[in-house]
Amino acid sequence: MNPERPPVPLPHPSGPLAGYRVLDLADEKGQLGARLLAELGADVIKVEPPRDGDPGRQHAPFFRNEAGTETSLFWWTMNAGKRSITLQLRLEAGRELFHRLVAISDIIIETTMPGEAAALGLDYPTIERINPSAILVSITGFGQDGPYARWHATDIVGAAMGGLMYLNGDPERGPVRTTVPQAYTQVNVQAMVGALVALYARGVNGGIGQHVDVSMQEAVANAMDNAQQTWDIRRVNASGPGLYRNSAGVRTARYLFETADGWVAALQAGGLIGPNANAIIDWLAEHGEARGLDSPEWRARLTAPQPLSPEDREYVEATMAAFCRTRKKEELVEEAQRRGAGWAPVLSPREIVENKQLAARDYWVRVAHEDIGQSFTYPGAPFRLSATPWQQRGRAPHLGEHNEEVYCGLLGLEPQELRRLRLRMVI
Amino acid sequence: MPEQPPPPLKKPFEGIRVADFAWVGVGPLVSKYLADHGAEVIRIESSTYPETLRRAGPFVDDVPDLDGSGYFANFNSSKLGVTVNFKHPKGPDLVRRLLAHCDVVTESYTPGTMARFGFDYESVRQLRPDVIMISMPLYGQTGPWAHYAGYGHVLQAAAGFNHFTGWEDGPPIGTGVAYTDFLVPHFAAIALIAALDYRRRTGEGQYIDFSQFEAAIHGLWTAILDWTVNGHEQTRLGNHDLEAAPHNAYRCRDGRWVVIACETEKHWEGLKAALGRPEWCDMERMRRRWQRINEQKEIDRHLTFWFEDFTRLPSEAALQVEEGVEGPPVRKYTTEEVVRLFQSFGVPCGIVQSPEEMHADPQLAHRRHYWKLEHPRMGLRTYDSPAFKLSKTPAELTRPAPLLGEHNEYVFKQVVGLSDEEFVNLMAEGVFE
Repeated sequence: MNPERPPVPLPHPSGPLAGYRVLDLADEKGQLGARLLAELGADVIKVEPPRDGDPGRQHAPFFRNEAGTETSLFWWTMNAGKRSITLQLRLEAGRELFHRLVAISDIIIETTMPGEAAALGLDYPTIERINPSAILVSITGFGQDGPYARWHATDIVGAAMGGLMYLNGDPERGPVRTTVPQAYTQVNVQAMVGALVALYARGVNGGIGQHVDVSMQEAVANAMDNAQQTWDIRRVNASGPGLYRNSAGVRTARYLFETADGWVAALQAGGLIGPNANAIIDWLAEHGEARGLDSPEWRARLTAPQPLSPEDREYVEATMAAFCRTRKKEELVEEAQRRGAGWAPVLSPREIVENKQLAARDYWVRVAHEDIGQSFTYPGAPFRLSATPWQQRGRAPHLGEHNEEVYCGLLGLEPQELRRLRLRMVI
Repeated sequence: MPEQPPPPLKKPFEGIRVADFAWVGVGPLVSKYLADHGAEVIRIESSTYPETLRRAGPFVDDVPDLDGSGYFANFNSSKLGVTVNFKHPKGPDLVRRLLAHCDVVTESYTPGTMARFGFDYESVRQLRPDVIMISMPLYGQTGPWAHYAGYGHVLQAAAGFNHFTGWEDGPPIGTGVAYTDFLVPHFAAIALIAALDYRRRTGEGQYIDFSQFEAAIHGLWTAILDWTVNGHEQTRLGNHDLEAAPHNAYRCRDGRWVVIACETEKHWEGLKAALGRPEWCDMERMRRRWQRINEQKEIDRHLTFWFEDFTRLPSEAALQVEEGVEGPPVRKYTTEEVVRLFQSFGVPCGIVQSPEEMHADPQLAHRRHYWKLEHPRMGLRTYDSPAFKLSKTPAELTRPAPLLGEHNEYVFKQVVGLSDEEFVNLMAEGVFE
């Protein structure tokens, strides 16, 4: 081993979860969540099938668009800071080895279809028998039981069956999914809340572990804002409002406006409607672009609690649209904020990376990929803990990079045993 | 000798007391996790400036009522509520006396607000050295945007979710919800519970500076690295996907939409079989996944026709004779039948469910996802519950959301220890408003 090579993952003994060990056997539904545990100090071991490795390694996009086991940016994003071992759970010898790891682990995360875990030695009765303190987190499309439990689900299916997609979209073109997968994102983070509640429960209940059964459909359902209560109380189905906004099932004023260089999000027609409308009316009037809204009659109507007539509202929205169209979004937002209106720019990934608020907070981290001799910018701390800080722990692991460390170091296997296991395709 | 039954398990956060100053969505959803798992969460409000969600509907019969918002109710199950007027000379001191009895403080005010009343971390730590405090404003405690106002509905724009929601040739419409309000609370809860566990193990508390913006960026999947590593900007693709085809929503005869996602060859083979192998899908240029992604408009066209031709209203016959077409009657499917058919062939698919359908969904019912709690003003109403089921210490929604100041007497007498006389005098002075 090259002694100059930096260790991956970087040690993080001061994280709040330092001392815990996590086995990550998850697909897209759990890899992000497991990464967050690593960044909080846990030793997260990604368990991959031998040869091709985890299917996540095949996800686009790839570094320089070159597909390969170590170049997936999905892999880089979701598995940074973990260790990787290879292990074939379809072989009995693999399951034996796995159970030795279970015996010294705290949390196991898996995403197999309900009913399929037992054949891999991953079912809760087996895990509990081997380590009664272990917490098994099972993340699936619809949960472990129920009429849809064995349905096939990807992100868009979760978005649809979980109700969020119905709320997104526009009246002409129908429902739309958020292209960056949000059903997966939701279930990742909600599952980790469940895992940590179970971990805390274990601490106060004499070390008793349990099974955490997580449903992607339910995770998405929890992102439906007040649509469920709106149905329950008002019997109204809110649906995709396009450039407008639903409020308790009622379509309210337009909130998205095109600017000279993009778009801004500005609720209530940019604040022209509502108790504080005068500050925004004044702004437009100062530029001679209020189109009459600065008259006492309009001011009274715009600040009154009663809703505007559809024609009036359209006129107000058109006034704001015309004002925005000739101006730049960051300048608009800055001035609107100065006047007390909560606008935000619509930002793209590039603009997020270049954003001054994030720069001022020193958000981004550089991650060394010593294997290819470069370093890259990654998202930084999603939360800043004063005593036990979050820490990015280096690049994602190569396939089986930590086999020796884990099997010999943790389980005490001899190097020749490792070789035998490799020949038998167990690892 | 008979075995002793094991002692009943404690609820995870039994004995943890939380002072919850947070407003609207993000903060209340974080403390809801703690409350639904046994913590005593006390919402600290003031009737002189009621929390935004109490003023937002849905309301029963559309009559605004600070104690009758379904929006507020859902986010505040299992919690207690007190009211204190911070602007009353005796208000802040009374709150500080309560904070001395709290393990956790949560807040989402504009930076600096807590300090103005003497509730900032340094002050609270004097009262309670092992306290954990989390501040959760939009943009964090520092930086040029720290004082920016806004809600989740606009933060989703800054955090990239508008950019990624909409059609490729259309505007960045974003989600129809205050999206980040329903994404970042889970990140905050992860940080907070990790800090609680650390405190359980070491006795040490801490402060968490949480920026909703900074957490939300972790929901952008590979978009950040695609830019920083490859210099490629991803964008919204309607219902298409970078890696799968077909991948879209299709309209059924009854006006509802069904989504299909073929990510693997197995999914595609299943779909072909379910469709009865029409000619177009066996064409050479449909063979590989990458080819199908190039041909997805063509595939969408065929599938759109298929859904028009082969779905039916429940009132229509399953077997129908096509007008002007020779041959046996054709089998047609209701929206539910289409989904069951495709699922039986291993194709990921589902219905785009409305709130009404969610309420009637048999899977959610089986999982008891929606809780029904009797609220004194709103009656029996629907509450969301966690997406995870813990096998031994499950969540329990113990009570509906608190009325304004409902638990003033309990909290200030039992927890803080005011005498009857003190309590009545302070009430007369208007401190509990």
